[in-house]
Amino acid sequence: MIPFILKRIFISIPVIFVLATITFCIMRITPGGPFDKDKAIPPEIKANIEAKYHLDRPLWSQYFYYMKGLIQGDLGPSYKYLGRSVTDIIKDSLPVSVELGLYAAFLAFLLGIPLGIIAAYKHGTWLDSSSMFIAISGITLPSFLVAALLIYFFSFKMGWFPAGLWEGGWEYKILPVAALGLRPVAIIARLMRTSMLDVIKADYVRTARAKGLSEFPVILKHVLKNSLIPVITISGPLLAGIITGSFVIEHVFAIPGMAKHFILAVTNRDYPLIMGVTLIYAVLLILANILVDVLYAVIDPRIKVS
Amino acid sequence: MKKIYGIILALIILVIAWNFFGPKKFHSHPEKEFRFVIASEPPTLDWSLATDNVSADILFNLMEGLIQFDSDLNVKPALAERWDISSDGKRYTFHLRSDALWTDGKPILASHFVDGWERLLNPKTASDYAYFLFDVKNAKEYNAGKLTDFDTVGIHAQDDHTLVVDLWHPASYFLKIPFFWVTFPIRKDIIEQFKDAWTDPKNIVTCGPFRLKEWKHDYSVTLEANPSYYGEKPKISTATAYIINEDSTALSLYDTNKVDLIRRIPPLLISHYKNLADYKNSPFLRGYYYGMNVKKKPFTDSRIRKAFSLAIDRSQLSTILQGNQIPTSSWIPKGMFGYDETIGLKFDKEKAQLLLAQAGYPKGEHFPSIKMVYDTRDDNKIIAEFLQSQWKEHLNVTVSIDNQEWKVHLKMLETNPPELWRLGWGADFPDPDNFMNLFTSYSGNNHTQWKNKEYDQLIEEAAKELDSQKRLTLYQKAQHLLTEEDVPIIPLFIDSQNVLLKSYVKGYTLNPMSNNILKNISISKND
Repeated sequence: MIPFILKRIFISIPVIFVLATITFCIMRITPGGPFDKDKAIPPEIKANIEAKYHLDRPLWSQYFYYMKGLIQGDLGPSYKYLGRSVTDIIKDSLPVSVELGLYAAFLAFLLGIPLGIIAAYKHGTWLDSSSMFIAISGITLPSFLVAALLIYFFSFKMGWFPAGLWEGGWEYKILPVAALGLRPVAIIARLMRTSMLDVIKADYVRTARAKGLSEFPVILKHVLKNSLIPVITISGPLLAGIITGSFVIEHVFAIPGMAKHFILAVTNRDYPLIMGVTLIYAVLLILANILVDVLYAVIDPRIKVS
Repeated sequence: MKKIYGIILALIILVIAWNFFGPKKFHSHPEKEFRFVIASEPPTLDWSLATDNVSADILFNLMEGLIQFDSDLNVKPALAERWDISSDGKRYTFHLRSDALWTDGKPILASHFVDGWERLLNPKTASDYAYFLFDVKNAKEYNAGKLTDFDTVGIHAQDDHTLVVDLWHPASYFLKIPFFWVTFPIRKDIIEQFKDAWTDPKNIVTCGPFRLKEWKHDYSVTLEANPSYYGEKPKISTATAYIINEDSTALSLYDTNKVDLIRRIPPLLISHYKNLADYKNSPFLRGYYYGMNVKKKPFTDSRIRKAFSLAIDRSQLSTILQGNQIPTSSWIPKGMFGYDETIGLKFDKEKAQLLLAQAGYPKGEHFPSIKMVYDTRDDNKIIAEFLQSQWKEHLNVTVSIDNQEWKVHLKMLETNPPELWRLGWGADFPDPDNFMNLFTSYSGNNHTQWKNKEYDQLIEEAAKELDSQKRLTLYQKAQHLLTEEDVPIIPLFIDSQNVLLKSYVKGYTLNPMSNNILKNISISKND
């Protein structure tokens, strides 16, 4: 297992470098620079700024300078948030996104799996239709609309939860977690249902029933375990996406997470921050996929990690 | 197995129930805590480097400069209790208060201003706004690295409480410059000790009515009353700025009493709040205009530029935008010295059509297709569509509309401005030079490609002129050139501030510079 994980990590390193190179090139092709502002500055001042951030060097030199820093674990200074390093910005904002994302992921598995099971087990009944209605709604409704509806009903109308902010209490977390978690709930429920419907018809399930096992052990031991494989497959990228935050949710609820930097770093042309958040996302995605591969082996012994 | 699931479920229900029905974390709003919204994370609280209004919203409460403005923008003493200006207008001597202290108890000295201005001009600091001091002797040369000895620059501490500034030439606006945050004094020892972390709450040393209590990045900035402030102490104990970029979120929090002040209402929602007692409105020194590239056809012909300006019924703008914006055809904004509403081309469609015909396009026939470009924003779109319809209706010309992201827009203006484009300008300091200088031939902000020696000369003379009546005449002449004769720009309106302020907050005034001054605020919920 450990050699497999190490091998996967080793293979990922060139991927990260290719990604960093592509991101670097795309950033520099994009019109507009980090220090373009509505109030133009005299050329001598522009020269001072470019010298400070090494932007006066040729592009290839800037690239090697950045890569050298990256190898040493230095993501560079932010061009927008003066005096703060990209590492500091990620250190401050990623834990918030991870916390919010983990709650939402927990909600997604807690609700998505049972909903999928119920829908498949009670296939064709009103329970199936209701579960799938929730699932389809979760997938089709955009998150900003879900967030707005939640705020309207639970904050304005009922006054149960605050309309935004992130003060630490549970009451501040319920609405953003619900808004962020609804889509993954829906995805997992649909996958679970489809997968269970396949497994439920399998010969070994019929055999288990014929042997006189009651329904609960059949579902839990034979059906559920084998139906989880597609859910685990999707949970890697889903988890990586969800814990790096949602721009819309963090924006609407004024949550100080990392997702905003994916957008604002680009609009500000904050090159080091664009690179930083892109690379963090890539690393998390790679780690989540390794985790998924490991989980495969745990769930289904026929799958070997090697 | 079933038992374990049961226990887990029971625990989850208990935790949730405790959070719902247990002691509430919501607390009533204490009377000395003020909460307001800022639109983004302050990029920096290092006042030598800050260039944006959000940082300024905080800095104007943490720090003070040599002077301040009253509500009518008259210069008042701040850290300088008085000043002398030499008869030739080239030497300013500021006499500092002796009772002003930093938050660590040390006195504010003239050398702290010298250090602050040196840091601003030092090329290594790479401050955008170093050019604010370029009127000072040798300042530009020091900033460009041509001079390395700061003693040669015209800034000196005569003694602990006397600061002397020597200019190259008289500058009628110079006394207003030390209000600007980049000119605030600094504590060099603190910056050297803590490097980039000197603006952290535990390190920063300031001298304004508030001090920095807490800065949760991307979330909030909390200020607390500064007990060592020389002036009247603030009546509130803390002021918390929540960083909320989404207007609808800010409004939701205002409506549910989580914040006391919002300083931005989206144009489309102004009508919803307009009749509330909480709604406040006031103009501020920000002009909105469309520029024309005078090097691109058809705007190479001044008759066409005039026709486009004459064909706009600006009176409709405040109705469309809802925010009591002041339509204008001149460039110096209302509230600033030199404002003259009679200047500029007023709506006259007959004259506009005549000029267009004289330029070779009677009734707009065969007029080439042109494009107007604005930066993507709701209000900009509304205005662009309004202009498009005005030109179609009054001149029978078709103008296509394009919008682009802000930085792309700026890059395009710098490299290849289109025929027609949008921009605005907010005052850095309340003097017409700050507005009129924009369209000089050597200004980096002049994207019209218009160059007029007479205009340049008028602006330079006005800047040096100390007699206000003569100065006024010079600006009138320059405004005639800019908005009536050559017309490289179409001024449209002077912007307004639209804010929501809870009725229990007293002492907060909207000022024409849109500065967020909190020191006079009190909260009284018993009224």
